[in-house]
Amino acid sequence: MRNTLLAILTLTAAPALAQQAEPPASDAPPDAPAAESQPAPAAPEEPSLDERMTNAEGKVTSLEEQNAETQTVLSALTKLKLSGYVQARYQYQESLDDTGAGGFSRFTVRRGRLKTTYTTDWAQMMLQIDAVPDTGVTVRDAEATFYVPGMKKKLSLTLGQMKWPFGFEAVQSSSDREIPERTRVVRAFLPDERDRGAKFSGEFLKGRMTIDVGVFDGDGLFNQGFIGSDNDKEKDIIGRAGFDLKWLSGGISGWYGHSLGRRPTDTYRVAYDRNRVALDAQLYLDVLPFGGTSIKAEYIKGNSYWRSSGGTKVEQLGVPASGWYGLVVQNVSLTNAVAVRYDYFDPENGQPNLETADGKPGSNNAVGTLAVALLHHFSENLKATLAYELPMTAAPGAAEDPHDNLLTFQLQARY
Amino acid sequence: MKTFLKSLVAVLLVALPVAARAGTVTVKGSDTMVILGQRWAEEFMKKAPATKVQVTGGGSGTGLAALQNGTTDIAMSSREMKDAESKKLRARYNTTGEEIAVAKDGVTFYVNAGNPVTALTLEQLRGIYLGDITNWKEVGGPDAAIVVYSRENSSGTYVFVKDNVLDGEDYTSSAQTLPGTAAVVNAVAKEKHGIGYGGAAYAKGIKELNVKKGNEEIAPSADNIKTGKYPLSRNLYFYLRNKPASEVKAFIDFALSPEGQAVVTKVGYFPVK
Repeated sequence: MRNTLLAILTLTAAPALAQQAEPPASDAPPDAPAAESQPAPAAPEEPSLDERMTNAEGKVTSLEEQNAETQTVLSALTKLKLSGYVQARYQYQESLDDTGAGGFSRFTVRRGRLKTTYTTDWAQMMLQIDAVPDTGVTVRDAEATFYVPGMKKKLSLTLGQMKWPFGFEAVQSSSDREIPERTRVVRAFLPDERDRGAKFSGEFLKGRMTIDVGVFDGDGLFNQGFIGSDNDKEKDIIGRAGFDLKWLSGGISGWYGHSLGRRPTDTYRVAYDRNRVALDAQLYLDVLPFGGTSIKAEYIKGNSYWRSSGGTKVEQLGVPASGWYGLVVQNVSLTNAVAVRYDYFDPENGQPNLETADGKPGSNNAVGTLAVALLHHFSENLKATLAYELPMTAAPGAAEDPHDNLLTFQLQARY
Repeated sequence: MKTFLKSLVAVLLVALPVAARAGTVTVKGSDTMVILGQRWAEEFMKKAPATKVQVTGGGSGTGLAALQNGTTDIAMSSREMKDAESKKLRARYNTTGEEIAVAKDGVTFYVNAGNPVTALTLEQLRGIYLGDITNWKEVGGPDAAIVVYSRENSSGTYVFVKDNVLDGEDYTSSAQTLPGTAAVVNAVAKEKHGIGYGGAAYAKGIKELNVKKGNEEIAPSADNIKTGKYPLSRNLYFYLRNKPASEVKAFIDFALSPEGQAVVTKVGYFPVK
C-alpha cells in the first residue's frame, strides 16, 4: 500500500517539477501587454520640506532626551571612584641568633585594599576594606563626611573609622611609601593608624594651611578585648596643624587623652595619661638633573604607646617613649628611585639600655634601623620595591645585636 | 639567596624603559590650548627640524594626569594645578612640578547673535548655570527657555567656571555637555536661546557677553583681560615635572620668545610678556 502511494505521488509530481526546471520555449507567446495587466500602484509622494524638518526635529529632540538621560546616569558615575591595590611580597630574614631560632623565608600578601568613594557637593562616603590571607577581610576606613556648603570642600566634618590626624607618615598612604613598612616609632604610637571618632578638617590660605582636629576613642582598631568599641569613657583629642609651601611642608601634631587600665602593680584601674607631640617636615628639591629629591623627617615623643607581645598589642600605660626618622628619596629618571631611611625608637625614655641574664640586649633597649630601598615603576599601575633593613638594637656589655636584618621584595599593583 | 638577588636585579634592569625619547617632545592637555600648542609646534619645528613636537588635547585634567603618569613631557592646562595633583607629583617624583604661564585668556560667555542680552552679572551667570534661572526673561531677554551648554569635566575651562562662577557648586543637570569649545560655539550659533562659554580664541560668529559689575559692563577685550580687569581672565599654563631641559626647554623658550608670543596673539589669546 505504501509503495503504491509513493508511486502515485512520484508520477504526479514529476511533470510539475519538469515544468519548473525547463527554460521557456523560444516560440512561447510574449508577455501580455501592460495595458491588459493590473494598474501599477502610484509612487508615494515625496515628503514635503516641512514634514522632513518635523521628522528631523523629532529625532533631534528624541536624541536630546536620550542624551540628558545618559548624562544623568553618567554624572552619578563620575562621583563614584573605585580604587585599590595589592602588595605581594617575598621576605627573607636571618636567623635571630646562632642557635638558628627565628628568621624566615616567606611569601606574603601584606595588603589587599579595595576602596570606594562617592563624592557629591555636600557629602562623601568612603569605605576601604583589606582582604589578605592571614586576617581575612577587615574594614580599614568607613567614613561619612559632610562638606560645609559654599566652602568648596575646604571645610568638612567626618564621622566614622578613619586615620588619626597625627604626623606625616601615619597619614600617608601605604601605596605611596618608599620603604615597605612604617617606622618603629610610628608603629608604636599609632599602630594601624586608625580609630573611630569625629574629625573636623579645614583648609585655609589657599591650601597653604590645614587644620585637622578630632575626638577619638583613642584605642585604635585592635583594642584587645574591646574590638570595635572603646575600653572606657575617656576620649582622646588629636590634631595636626600643617603648612604647605609646595617645596616645604610640615606640621605640628598633638594628642591629649587618657587610657583606663591596670598595670601589674595597680589594685584598681587607673586613668593613665596618653599624650604625644610630633613635629614633621618635608623638603622637595629639584637640583639634580636626573630627578627630584625629597627629604622627610619626623619626631614623636609621648607616653602610653603599644607594644607587640606575641600576637597581641599591649598598651604600655604611662610609659614614656620617643623616636624619630629621616628619609631621603632620590628619583633617577622617570621610573626609578632610591630611598634611604634611618629611624630610631627608644621605648623607655630615661632608662639605660640593658643586657639580659642570658647575654642578650634588653627588650626595652633602643633600636635604630637603617633601610635602603630601590624602587622601579613599570607603569602607573605597577611598582617594584627591593628593600633591605638593618635593625641595630642597643647592645651594652657583651650582648650582641640580634641577626634580624630583613630583605623584602614587593610588587605593588594598583588601579 | 645570591642567585635570587642576581635574578631580581637582572629582571629590573631588563624592565628599565628607555629613559628619554631623544628628539621628541610630547605636549598634552587643555583643549582650549590645543590650537595654540599646535601653532607653536609647527613654528618651532621649522626652526628645529630634528625635534618632533606632538600636541594632543583631552582637557587640562587629562594632561595633568599624563604628567603624573609619566606619559607626557608637558601638560597644557587652562587652570592652576590642584593640591591633590601637586601632592601626587610629590609622592611619585619627589618634585613640586614647574608652572609656567605661557599665555592669558578670558573665559567668555557666548549667546546667539540674535539674543538681545548683551551683559550679565556673575550672579546671573551663576543662576543660569546652577539651574536657578531658566528663562531669558528673568535676565532681560525674550520669554524663552535658556538652553545651557557646558564642557566636559576633564576640561580646565569647566573647572575654572565651576570655581569662579559657580563657587564650586555643581552645574545644573540640564546643561548639555559638549566636547571642545568649538562645539559649544557651534551649538550656540545654531540655538537662538543657547548660552555657552569658552576661550576668547574661538568666539567668532556669535555674540560675547560683557560681565556686569555694579553699573559697569566689562567686555572680554584684550586690555581688560591683560590687566585682569575682566573678572574671568586667567593664565594658560605649561606644567612640567622638573625644570625644563634640552628639547623641552628649547620649545618652552620658543613659546615665551617674542616670536612665540606673536603666535599667541595670532591665535586669539593674549601674551604674557
